[in-house]
Amino acid sequence: MKKPRVCILRTDGANCEEETFYAFEKAGAESQMVHINQLRSQEKQLTEYQILVLPGGFSYGDAVYSGKVLAVELTSFLKEQLSEFVAAGKLMIGICNGFQVLVRTGLLPNRNLGKIEATLIANDSGRFECRWVNLLVEQSHCVFTRGLEGSLINTQVAHGEGKFYSDPQVIDEIEKSGRVVFRYVGLEGKPTSLYPANPNGSLNAIAGICDSTGRIMGMMPHPERYVEKTQHPNWRRIPEDTIPHGLAIFRNAVDYARQM
Amino acid sequence: MIQEVRVITKKNLPDSRGEEVLYDINHALAINSVERVRTARVFRFEGISAGEAALLAEKLLAEDVFQEYQVNGPVITDAAMVLEVAYKPGVMNPEAASLMKSAADLGITGLVAADSSWEYGFYGNMITDADIERITSSLLVNATVEYVVQESPKTLVIHGTPGRTEVIPVRQMSDDKLIELSLDKLFLNLEEMQVIKAYFSRIGRDPTDIEIETIAQTWSEHCGHKTFKAKLIVDGQEKTPLLKRLQQATEASKHPLVLSAFVDNSGAMAFYDGQAICGKVETHNSPSAIEPYGGAMTGSGGVFRDIVGTGRGAKVLASTDIFCFARPDTPEEDIPAGCLHPHYLLRRVVAGVRDYGNRIGIPTNNGSVHFHRDFRAKPSVIVGAYGILPAELCQKGKPQTGDLVVTMGGRTGRDGIHGATFSSGEMTDRTIEVNSSAVQIGHPIEEKRTFDAILAARDEGLIRAITDCGAGGFASAVGEMGEEVGARIALDRAPLKYPGLAPWEILESESQERMVLAVAPENIDRLMEICRGYNVEATVLGEFTGDRCFSATYEGQVVMNLEMDFLHHGLPQRLMQASWRPTVYGEPPAVTTTDWVELYCRVMGHLNTCSKESIVRQYDHGVQGTSALPPFSGIGEDGPNDAAIMAPILGKPYGLVISHGLNPVLNMIDPYQGSLWAAAEAVSNAVASGASPRDLVLIDNFIWPFPDEELLGALDLAVDACVDFVRGTGMPFISGKDSLSSTYRGKDGTVIKIPPILCISAFGRIPDVSQTVSADFKKAGSQIVLIGYRNTSEMAGSIYYELLGYLGNNLPKLSPPALMEVFEAVYGAIKSGKLLACHDISEGGLAAGLAEMCFGGAIGALVEIPDNELAENFLFNETAGCFLAELPADAQLNEVFGAIPCQVIGKTTAGNIISAVQAGESLFKVELDKLKQAWQQPMREVFRQ
Repeated sequence: MKKPRVCILRTDGANCEEETFYAFEKAGAESQMVHINQLRSQEKQLTEYQILVLPGGFSYGDAVYSGKVLAVELTSFLKEQLSEFVAAGKLMIGICNGFQVLVRTGLLPNRNLGKIEATLIANDSGRFECRWVNLLVEQSHCVFTRGLEGSLINTQVAHGEGKFYSDPQVIDEIEKSGRVVFRYVGLEGKPTSLYPANPNGSLNAIAGICDSTGRIMGMMPHPERYVEKTQHPNWRRIPEDTIPHGLAIFRNAVDYARQM
Repeated sequence: MIQEVRVITKKNLPDSRGEEVLYDINHALAINSVERVRTARVFRFEGISAGEAALLAEKLLAEDVFQEYQVNGPVITDAAMVLEVAYKPGVMNPEAASLMKSAADLGITGLVAADSSWEYGFYGNMITDADIERITSSLLVNATVEYVVQESPKTLVIHGTPGRTEVIPVRQMSDDKLIELSLDKLFLNLEEMQVIKAYFSRIGRDPTDIEIETIAQTWSEHCGHKTFKAKLIVDGQEKTPLLKRLQQATEASKHPLVLSAFVDNSGAMAFYDGQAICGKVETHNSPSAIEPYGGAMTGSGGVFRDIVGTGRGAKVLASTDIFCFARPDTPEEDIPAGCLHPHYLLRRVVAGVRDYGNRIGIPTNNGSVHFHRDFRAKPSVIVGAYGILPAELCQKGKPQTGDLVVTMGGRTGRDGIHGATFSSGEMTDRTIEVNSSAVQIGHPIEEKRTFDAILAARDEGLIRAITDCGAGGFASAVGEMGEEVGARIALDRAPLKYPGLAPWEILESESQERMVLAVAPENIDRLMEICRGYNVEATVLGEFTGDRCFSATYEGQVVMNLEMDFLHHGLPQRLMQASWRPTVYGEPPAVTTTDWVELYCRVMGHLNTCSKESIVRQYDHGVQGTSALPPFSGIGEDGPNDAAIMAPILGKPYGLVISHGLNPVLNMIDPYQGSLWAAAEAVSNAVASGASPRDLVLIDNFIWPFPDEELLGALDLAVDACVDFVRGTGMPFISGKDSLSSTYRGKDGTVIKIPPILCISAFGRIPDVSQTVSADFKKAGSQIVLIGYRNTSEMAGSIYYELLGYLGNNLPKLSPPALMEVFEAVYGAIKSGKLLACHDISEGGLAAGLAEMCFGGAIGALVEIPDNELAENFLFNETAGCFLAELPADAQLNEVFGAIPCQVIGKTTAGNIISAVQAGESLFKVELDKLKQAWQQPMREVFRQ
């Protein structure tokens, strides 16, 4: 079977691209690093790919606000390419800085390029924090979490500006339309607003959302950091046959893209 | 005309930066008049209209979901006091370039310059001018790089006319004049100045300022390691120079894995699958003492470049950080004139390490913090980095005649001029004023894309040789690279941050994020193409000539022409006297412990024992996806581990292990045994996690006060200890660094020598990371085993003694061959899979190690103290090379550890109590939560978390 092609978007300051590349390869895709300069110069075309990934990092140093400068660049120069990509029913995932970029382009929550409706702001703690968190996979039509709904997964967060925030009516709309994909939960598995289980103070404990088609997803935690057993801080305590929690997300994406 | 845009978070939302500042005002400064702080961003643009500024505000600077903005107007209008803090003109603001880029992306073409800063609004009716003054000077503004903006700047563009090249008439100078020339600028002694004078007399001309600067820089202690290369007379007997002793020990070890030792920017050893791993540890004390944020950033950035500048280019895998400070609660009046408060230093250094490492995407996963009163005069900031590269590319590259000299990365500015000579000078109360230009703010994104481009170029075979631009700038980088062949560069080709640099400043500038490459002419076009693809600026400065001279031109004029031979071999060897006279420190009288719980809590809450999790959480230790043993693990992810283990080739089981050890107090009591302790601790940390001692190599970092006869005697003993450790264990040193300037001299005659530090780092390879252990106890009912040689009466330098108010003299005595037996046994036990957990014993002794294992496992322990032991010594002795291990209840001790000293000291227990019994009687029972609270509290207080 043909391997889906994944475009890992490289920019100045992206820094999780290699492990993200690996995660998709391990899940059965063919990953390619594509620098945004190559898309701008049309040396590469988004049409060549089934999945577009905005990896974690500090694009352009997170000048002004995290992901902002890259979001401006995407909406200024790649608006058409992105719109076509979305319209073709292809997949897009933004992880950490990539999620920040997706909300700042307006692709999330409403595929409204150029209109910011929800945002990710400074953690309530006021600082960058790196820790493992528990996530509840919500019932949604998200392509990336098919079959995982209702389960608890473990991932690492590493960010300083990850508090999901928007107006009450936007949050309400996201909730009602089933676009919340992940929530931070406490030890008992219930969504929580309490630090550190909710590491940033996100409203409704939201850690990741998708658009109405379920094909565009953004999340603050890093699933690419848990596609191998030994990446988990407590792998020595975990049953040998456990599938690394992040891997399932990438496999879902690859399986879906294979059908395209 | 400058347009200003101010952006603020809406009033109903938390302002976490403001809250952080408020916490520091209330806690670190104990000022209670401020009730609330609001913060706002200020952006300035030159060359555009107000309408364009409004467009930028709308599209780039503010999001109306959570922010409000004003163009050319205030956003904080109701505060008692508002002040704006900005970088000084000429200090590179990393945000400025991104603002320019984004404005261009939005179609705004006329923008000439941009800048950004922060504004603070203070609320409270009782705020005094004195409060604001203290908040400004102690918290918000570091006058080295920042200032309070009193009125808006008229322009953001820096203008300047280049200074001229001066001829320095050294041939006519008297000794007094030579010393005057050297003072505060060259940091050379009279003999060295006389050698320079004699050289130019012989060749019949006077030097230019650029030539003098280049010589001073190459001959600085920082670059020339004059003490480590000096002819040494110890108590009347000549001994081999220190550096040579270390190198000879390494050669004699004939370690089969060593690929490159002491010759490159880092040392390299064999890994697996044709790969090599390399490591380098640097100190960055002087810059961090005067501007801790920028100092720590550039320290990290510099050591990362050392890795990339190894062989023909390596990838950086990990960052480590080891700090020494005075107590964060040191009274203000104890801080010597010209020095910054340790509370501020600690927080700002952590912020610098965090912001550089996190942004560049290199995990910071090993480190420690040590506290001692005498670090109040100068902190120690030790930064390490580790990398990977194909073994076939790990030898230092050699430029060939005709190769081009290429600079890549950041532009050159007036940054860090005199960094090399400055860090070799002692700290005085004038240091901050005289040398303030020696610090800058790092730009990790520039460094990241430069590294990306270098690795792409390396993989295409375009790099003949590479080195980083560190201390001494182009002078050092090109001078060292061209030592064998000679090099000529055109200084006016170097891309500048702003006009106005004199030729000597371009050559000596220590602007960060620059690398220098030797590239064959036929490869230059492809290299340039790669660089453009990554938005990296690259420039051909000149070529390697074959004339064995280091020459430079500026606008067609030759401004420097030095023989490489004189530059690199003209420095006279120093003759130095050394003699160590031990101080006798009193031993405490026998004390009967009345409150064991209180004592245990005090040991756990001691600054050198306490949890550093509040710091570690701010570092991204998971980026690159390589972690196989993180800094903390266990049920609550709060039990500390001994070493970092990473699997750097994703999908392969191969492990890179990193650890370190140091104990400044032991070095003070006995430099020889203290140094053995540091080495033993470094290796124990790696072995406790599952590394084979035969697969480890070492890095030394000597951080010493200015070496007078006595301190040089101490240094001599420390080096002897290193050599004996290599001989006794077979583990070689493959890289090292000395920094011999940690003496403070105040105006009033105060002299403070910080405790001498030998920091030993260990790194190595592990064939399969799944054969390693963490330190957290895994289950109740296991045996707790103590392994290793120790004499519990050797308590000098321990936390327990310090709590009694004593140092003591009788410190742990270590024997390297005996240590090696223990290392082998523990490694064998872990590899066999029989150990469920293992932890080495260090500060706080067995008791601290045990508590940490319990914290991680969230279970208790029962310890039986042998009848013949003094309970305090048994619990709090800090002999390195001893281990605690968790062994299944049914395992046989001697089958696991053989003939090595080991004993079952107790068992793990369900519940959350640690209890101890001796001679059938209960000594104490203490709740885990109480101990953990005491252990976590100190850093939580400092870091508000």
